[in-house]
Amino acid sequence: MANVKRKMIKVALAGNPNVGKSVIFNNLTGAHQHVGNWPGKTVDKKEGFHKVDDRVIYIVDLPGTYSLTALSVEEMIARDYIIYERPDVVVDIVDASNLERNLYLTMQLIELGANVVIALNKIDLAEKAGMKIDHRRLEDELGVPVIPTVAPKKRGMRELVDKIIELAEGNPRGHGGKTLCYEPRVERFIERLQEEVASREKIVQLFNPRWVAIKLLEGDEDVIKKLSEIEGGEEVIEKGAKLREEMGRELGDPEVAIADARYAVIKGIVSRAVGELKRLTASDLLDHVLLDKYLGIPIFFVILWWWFQMAFIGSAPFCDILGDGFAALGEALTGITGHPFIDYLFFGEYGIIQGIGAVLSFVPLIMLLYFILALLEDSGYMARAAFVMEKAMRKVGLSGRTIIPMIMGFGCNVPAVYATRIIPEEADRLVAILTNPLMLCGARLVFFSAIAAAFYGAYAGDILFSLYALGVILAFIVAIILRKTFFRRRVSPFVLELPAYQKPSFKVAAVRMWDRGSMYLRKALGIILIGLLIIGILTATDAETLTFTTDPERSLVAALGRSLAPIFTPLNWDWRFVVAMIFGFVAKEIVLGASAMLYGAGEEEIASRLASLYNPIDMYGYMTFILIYIPCIVTIAAIRQETGSWKWTAFAVIYGLILAYIVNLLIVTIGHLLLG
Amino acid sequence: MSRVDSLTYILASILSILYPIYGAIQFYKGAVAWWLPWICGEEIQLGVKVGDAYIPNIFPDPFSGIILIIIGVIFARSIYLSKRNPGLADGFLFVGWILASMMLILNLVVLAADILDTYYPLIWGGEIEEPWTLGSDPWGISPHLILGIIATPIYSKIKPLLKQLIP
Repeated sequence: MANVKRKMIKVALAGNPNVGKSVIFNNLTGAHQHVGNWPGKTVDKKEGFHKVDDRVIYIVDLPGTYSLTALSVEEMIARDYIIYERPDVVVDIVDASNLERNLYLTMQLIELGANVVIALNKIDLAEKAGMKIDHRRLEDELGVPVIPTVAPKKRGMRELVDKIIELAEGNPRGHGGKTLCYEPRVERFIERLQEEVASREKIVQLFNPRWVAIKLLEGDEDVIKKLSEIEGGEEVIEKGAKLREEMGRELGDPEVAIADARYAVIKGIVSRAVGELKRLTASDLLDHVLLDKYLGIPIFFVILWWWFQMAFIGSAPFCDILGDGFAALGEALTGITGHPFIDYLFFGEYGIIQGIGAVLSFVPLIMLLYFILALLEDSGYMARAAFVMEKAMRKVGLSGRTIIPMIMGFGCNVPAVYATRIIPEEADRLVAILTNPLMLCGARLVFFSAIAAAFYGAYAGDILFSLYALGVILAFIVAIILRKTFFRRRVSPFVLELPAYQKPSFKVAAVRMWDRGSMYLRKALGIILIGLLIIGILTATDAETLTFTTDPERSLVAALGRSLAPIFTPLNWDWRFVVAMIFGFVAKEIVLGASAMLYGAGEEEIASRLASLYNPIDMYGYMTFILIYIPCIVTIAAIRQETGSWKWTAFAVIYGLILAYIVNLLIVTIGHLLLG
Repeated sequence: MSRVDSLTYILASILSILYPIYGAIQFYKGAVAWWLPWICGEEIQLGVKVGDAYIPNIFPDPFSGIILIIIGVIFARSIYLSKRNPGLADGFLFVGWILASMMLILNLVVLAADILDTYYPLIWGGEIEEPWTLGSDPWGISPHLILGIIATPIYSKIKPLLKQLIP
């Protein structure tokens, strides 16, 4: 038998998530496919082949992405594959019912210089939604072939394969589409830089000059890094930086200006190719309402309020059951060892079992918070929430996405610190992590509610509100300072691709809840056990004889409190407040219980006892200190884990202490000056 | 305008009035209870007394009051747009219905949680402090639940949108 050498055509499938890319991949490759990983990444790599006559079409399914901005691993993989592997054809699968959003990626693929053919998928759904897409017009507008397809019905597959072969053999390399010009003010900068890039042969061999110019103006760090390794790259980078600066002065943030201009081009193309829409799609309608200039933010607050009520009220009985269970366990085990020191350490009122119980009793709340958050994320709403809050947050140097962890921080700082993972840019994320402990969490509320009621009577609500407001204001001030000192890079622009709305999956939400919640459990339990053990030993050890004591006043922790008391004398604290504050390091709820123990009152009477000893100004000062000072031990562990740095963890602790001291001192000094 | 449209917009009109009314009362009661307790006055309720409870029960919570007002404004906006831009009016109706349903679910969860919180000690043979009654429940059957039920028939109008959104 003669050995027939088949001609190989290399094809990459690109497209947004959920556009039917996998169905088209399966249609084309059938059983001839293999699933592996992209080298060095945990992202699935699907590859397969399709045989036509004497040709083999080798197909790689690129990860689903909304753009090629290199903000995520998926985007990097897709981009690098097209640049370095140079597929003969890139099939861009576009959801016809969401044309505007999908063409954002198409435009970037064309700019990249890929040999693009568009599979206009879900054309049936678009028609059902009342859209009449003139795909020939779309072809003319974009300068690339457009094949209407309905993947589940295998409609358009044959035509797509024919077009791939035609493109690969007729136009194997180079720019398939025409130049899609941006608005003149943006285009001017692109052209100036493009000329510079085009004159560098080594760069042109690897990249499309127009794409490089756009990426440099966007400030794409990955492209800058790649260029710096090429001959002549440094000069281009320098020129790009100058033009970017100039563009920033003229048009505002260049990345935002380019994204806006790109959308304007797409809007024009869609309006000409689709013509008059019979009616807006459901997704458009929902976006009109949820991103409404006036009602967008109020709707976000309605959803936030609902989320918190659901989580706090819904989890309350389960938290109580766990709390009672651990209290009963501690009681039942008291005396079991026959050794008073170990009994006190493990089963006493502030023993380890109680401490673990305090942590575990929050698990239902945290799990429910995460579960609802996952549902909201999965539905596509959270991206819209971040979008509506962007403007306000940017003014204080915080990313729009910071609003989510900030609000979670009002419940508990621990999940809030973990939730900062939704912020992609490292500097933005660090600022969000470092400012989050200033949000008044539920644990601190325990102490504040009791004290405010006893000290301020009718004004208790105002006092609580003022503490919430103080926390937020301080977070904004700290964010501004951090931005002006350690993180001078501007807040990364919020180029957000709004994902499609979808029915949230309970299964996905449950998995995400467990992933995030179990992480809290593991870390919290590990650290809190050590912390409780240390504090327990210090409390149960007589400072003079170093033997066991049940009298906290004689303990090592009291000695520590007394030794530190002079530092806090200007704040009008006595040593008991110092000790209570130290106890609060383990968990802020303990401040109330510790105060009760040290002042010889029950948790019920402590507020009135304190009211007889302190005046409202000093007490308010102490409350602000408890609000601001070092985060609790579990939050510190979360900060360490999420920043991956002891330096930033120590910074969070130290700046909290200093800020708390300054604010407390100001309140006490100015308060006494004004009110006597 | 079809029969479904007429019924929907009548309901939306009623809701655009009731949500802000209940919201304003709840805000007032909450503001007094939380921040201005020296203001005394008659207990304001706008419901039917059944046993020891009002249905709906307007519990004092200023934030909840604001939430109800916002939902009312969303329904009002859909009425306002119904002639000028019916497509967008449907969008506001859709969001209003979703929020109304979320509040209904919340009230049901609150009731279930409160009942469970009262009776869980019985699981291990303990005693309950005080039995749960509708009157003793801080939320009870609140406007969130009643207005959510009234909003339910709007589903027939927004069903096509929902199907288009989640095929």
